[in-house]
Amino acid sequence: MGIDKINSAEKSKGRVLVAMSGGVDSSVAAALLVDQGYEVIGATMQVWDYSECDITEGHGTCCSSIDVDDARSVADKINIPFYVLNCEAKFKASVIDPFVNAYLAGETPLPCVNCNTYLKFDHLIKKMNELECDFLATGHYAQVVHDDKGLAQIQTSIDNWKDQTYFLFTIDPHIVSRLLFPIGHLKKPEVRRIAEEKGLVVAKKKDSTGICFVGNKGYDQFIKEQVSQKILDLKKGKIKRYPGGEIMSDHEGIHLYTIGQSKGLGMTYHEKLFVLKIDAEDNTVWVGEEKDLYVAEVDVIETRWLSEVTDGAEYDVKIRYQHKASRAIATKTSRGIKLKFAEPQRAVAPGQAAVFYQNQKLMGGGWITLK
Amino acid sequence: MQKFSNSSANGRVYLDNNATTPHSPALMSRWHELIDIFGNPSSIHQDSRLPKTILRETKQKIAELLGCSPLEIIFNSGASEANSSVLKAVFYSADKLRNEYLISQVEHPSVIKTAMYLQSQGAIIHYIPVSRNGEIDIDFIKEKLSAKTALVSVMYANNETGTIFPVNEISQLAHSVGALMHSDCVQTLGKLILNFQELNVDYATFSAHKFYALSGTGFCYVRKSAKWIPLIHGGGQERSRRGGTENIIGIAALNIVLEQLRNTEVKVNEMKRLRDLLENLISQNISDIQVIAQKAKRLCNTSSLIVGEIDGETLLMTLDLQGFSVSTGAACSSGNPEPSPVLLAMGLTRAEAQSSLRVSLGWETTEIQVRQFVQALTETVHKLREINLSEKKSVYGHR
Repeated sequence: MGIDKINSAEKSKGRVLVAMSGGVDSSVAAALLVDQGYEVIGATMQVWDYSECDITEGHGTCCSSIDVDDARSVADKINIPFYVLNCEAKFKASVIDPFVNAYLAGETPLPCVNCNTYLKFDHLIKKMNELECDFLATGHYAQVVHDDKGLAQIQTSIDNWKDQTYFLFTIDPHIVSRLLFPIGHLKKPEVRRIAEEKGLVVAKKKDSTGICFVGNKGYDQFIKEQVSQKILDLKKGKIKRYPGGEIMSDHEGIHLYTIGQSKGLGMTYHEKLFVLKIDAEDNTVWVGEEKDLYVAEVDVIETRWLSEVTDGAEYDVKIRYQHKASRAIATKTSRGIKLKFAEPQRAVAPGQAAVFYQNQKLMGGGWITLK
Repeated sequence: MQKFSNSSANGRVYLDNNATTPHSPALMSRWHELIDIFGNPSSIHQDSRLPKTILRETKQKIAELLGCSPLEIIFNSGASEANSSVLKAVFYSADKLRNEYLISQVEHPSVIKTAMYLQSQGAIIHYIPVSRNGEIDIDFIKEKLSAKTALVSVMYANNETGTIFPVNEISQLAHSVGALMHSDCVQTLGKLILNFQELNVDYATFSAHKFYALSGTGFCYVRKSAKWIPLIHGGGQERSRRGGTENIIGIAALNIVLEQLRNTEVKVNEMKRLRDLLENLISQNISDIQVIAQKAKRLCNTSSLIVGEIDGETLLMTLDLQGFSVSTGAACSSGNPEPSPVLLAMGLTRAEAQSSLRVSLGWETTEIQVRQFVQALTETVHKLREINLSEKKSVYGHR
């Protein structure tokens, strides 16, 4: 690679910067682009300093140093240039700190969206321009399609189970025409088959689950490492029974609870109780019966749109990643959207996103709030 | 298996010779002979004769080059091992009352990180400031030196900026209070005419891959009177100063390349001519670009550039894609570029350090390559500045 490779760019379908995490999806994405005749440059964003970590830590999850090695190995195999981009400071400021702060505020954060907003589809877009690339590609399960007017739009993957458009709602509509999702038209087993066929080291690597920087230790342990005990002590409070307000027990911090949680509440009771609401002002964790977990109306703020929504129209809306989209009427408000679901929804958590679809088209979305 | 070859005829221009050098053509032509060397020098039978001879003769050649005794040379894996060994040897053998160390702020991580480890074991470390112009703070050294000082460690030439430090002057100061003196000399051989005895140091460290021989081979000068404790205990090799069977092929390769070090004046002068040409062309063609410590006494082959408004990481990648190998500060094992601690220590801002580019020439660098590089750099910098400008406009114009 080098001078020759660049000279051959004129004959290629264009130059692509592909974000490679070291997982099977982005590896196959890169390999497919090479097959399709693009001139491909691979890049991994190093988001966390693993140099001092236990070598067993992070294995098989997203973006540990082992994953950087895997991405590099795939890049060697398919013979493309490959770079590691230092994104540690940016990742800490725009993903990790908000993640920790959200838990401390009693919310359930969604760090993957921030990573997409501030790193993949911002930092890498900048790199794409600087490296004179025509496109940015990722291994997301999503598709770019063109409507009747030739306008590029994001559509769900054909793999319903893996579809990741939920995490893409903040993408700037102006850049959609320059995005490629090379595996969005495939199902996961097919992606693995291609990886195996091409002899990529990642073919049998297990899927990353959970949050890449948290690893196997669990998010409560992660937060403990990031925040001083003094601050965590300020998050202690009472568990109260909804709706009467009867005190059930003390708790060790609101960051240890999530809406809908029923296990590990730190108390015993004769009936199964669920976390219904977390009150950050006085650190109260409200628990109650499962039926009280259901709400029909949800407020959405800080909306970002790929396509304009029509006031009063009905959309398919997902309120968490593994949620089957439900029909809801969207009414515009001064700070965003009020959703009215046809069927009440279980465990709607502030800090998660509400993402809107029309048929399979990603419209955009915003953040769920209870305030 | 993948073909393990990337050096010859790949059309690339290699300007990262402070990280490592390509192998000397003398090694290429004698490679079959080298790979045929076999035998453990510690054995008694006749198969050990050749390796024993290689060890002895190579040590003799080094001794002649440095003007010391062969007994003062310890073979090892390279300067990181040697630097770490020197600091630990002094720490574990020094008088208990001598517990202070003077280390320049711009030392290689193998010195700085070892010092930090010794600090955790009770040592007191004083970091000697180095100015933006590459001058080391002699007054600071004078102020901190005392009967408590165990060791002063100052590199001969800095790997990132090429600045040369007055090691013999610092040695004298160190010795005047009874302290030992170490100098990391890894960037010297092949780049300057070294009058080693003038340095008057107790320890000096070298890596073969920095002067056209093989990586994984190095040596440490330890003055006869200086204390030593091995980092690796083993089977009595190197007079029990460094355990482990010697890297005999690497040492034989070093032997071959040492021949070429006898006469480096022509090469040094040519590198200096090309480096000066490079800096002149750059200053003529690119605005807002500075050479760090340009006025200081520097290595003949190194240019440390700060390219205003440009992200060094992107610049490096773009040049790499065009076939030019350069670096942004020290080569890092993870391949993950961090702003250079050396430049930060010299008082450059984080933004400046992130806009840095190191160009280091070698024996094989040609004028055509230098001109090609400057042309590519000029075009790339102009293009990246345009992109930055249009992005700023779009941010303020449309959002």
